[in-house]
Amino acid sequence: MIVATEVTMSSRRTAWVGGVLSLLMLMAATAAAHHSFAVFDHTRTLTIHGTVTRFQWTNPHAFLEVDVPQPDGSMKHYSIELTSINMMQRVGWRSNMIKAGDKVTAVVAPLLSGEPVGLGLEVTMADGTTKALPVPNVGSFKRTTETQ
Amino acid sequence: MKARQLIWSLPLVAFAAVVVAQSGARAQSKPVSVPDITGSWERHGAGPGARAGGPRDATIPPPAPPPQLKPQYAKQWQDRIMAGRAADAKGEPLATNYTDCLPDGMPTMMGAMFPMEILQSRGQVTIIEEAFTQVRRILMDTPQKSFEDVEPGFYGHSVGRWDGDTLVVDTIGIKENVRFQNMPHSPQMRIKERMKLVSPNVLWNEITIEDPVVFEKPHTYTVAYRRMPGYTLLEYICEDNREYADDKGRQKIRIN
Repeated sequence: MIVATEVTMSSRRTAWVGGVLSLLMLMAATAAAHHSFAVFDHTRTLTIHGTVTRFQWTNPHAFLEVDVPQPDGSMKHYSIELTSINMMQRVGWRSNMIKAGDKVTAVVAPLLSGEPVGLGLEVTMADGTTKALPVPNVGSFKRTTETQ
Repeated sequence: MKARQLIWSLPLVAFAAVVVAQSGARAQSKPVSVPDITGSWERHGAGPGARAGGPRDATIPPPAPPPQLKPQYAKQWQDRIMAGRAADAKGEPLATNYTDCLPDGMPTMMGAMFPMEILQSRGQVTIIEEAFTQVRRILMDTPQKSFEDVEPGFYGHSVGRWDGDTLVVDTIGIKENVRFQNMPHSPQMRIKERMKLVSPNVLWNEITIEDPVVFEKPHTYTVAYRRMPGYTLLEYICEDNREYADDKGRQKIRIN
């Protein structure tokens, strides 16, 4: 307990307000992320196998840049958007877990526009460890078996 | 030389003795304890399913009632909600303050999307929200200024006092573009908070938004926080945001 000098106070009693489940609460429940993930496809996931070119450890979101070999021998580059590094650290992610040159497998929700960007849902690292991303409302992304 | 020093120091010693005596008298006259709410906190009981199933947790506050906006503002707000939903359904969400790396401001920051730190010091309670390193300073036992004397900002001008076991805070001076759940507000918006421990480790904040221009009646809702023992807030710098607003106000991602 902290001791402070008493000051003159007017006594006011405010009842804790009860209420019904409202539109606002539904909004609040779905607004538990800083950024909208509506740009990503919620109906399918891609599993990406590739080589990391950069692990960008920044806010508001981290990014994993990956080169993915294609069946025709060419290379396709994917940007994998992750969550806030603060959220990632709270579930055990560290900036030194992935480095350029690592071979990784990532399950991503692809961008609806078709551009080579995905929201990372989980990443299997070079040592075989799989780590999930703390994506808010992650259950809204339907997992499928498509690979890239 | 020593005698001279002693003579000079006598009045100082006497003055110090008076100060100590007076402060001791003040402390003994009406000392009261205020709750220790210093430390790290995280949102408690928020999100889908927080109240679903199981025995009711009395430390989780009831859901917020719908705000009562005046008709013209209610229409403006509903239109914004519908536009947001339509944009999300198309996969083209509307840009928000976050798209521009801008913080929540008041009262949204008290929703504590990320952990929050409360610091009690002499004459001030400081609240730091980890996301965007938002800081608000609550000046204790100080009169509130007039609306005209506060330059509008993200966090406003906050004054507070302890009403028994409740920290009562009054905030004015929020910029009109700093919005709570996209609701419009006028320069006359006033935010009143009543923070109280409902159990040793759960703090409730009853927030009332008053705005005689926009609201039919004040909007009151309660958010709860639980202690995070041993947690130190992390830094948060919006360093490289690949999201941007296009010319139609939609949130896009820069492809590297």
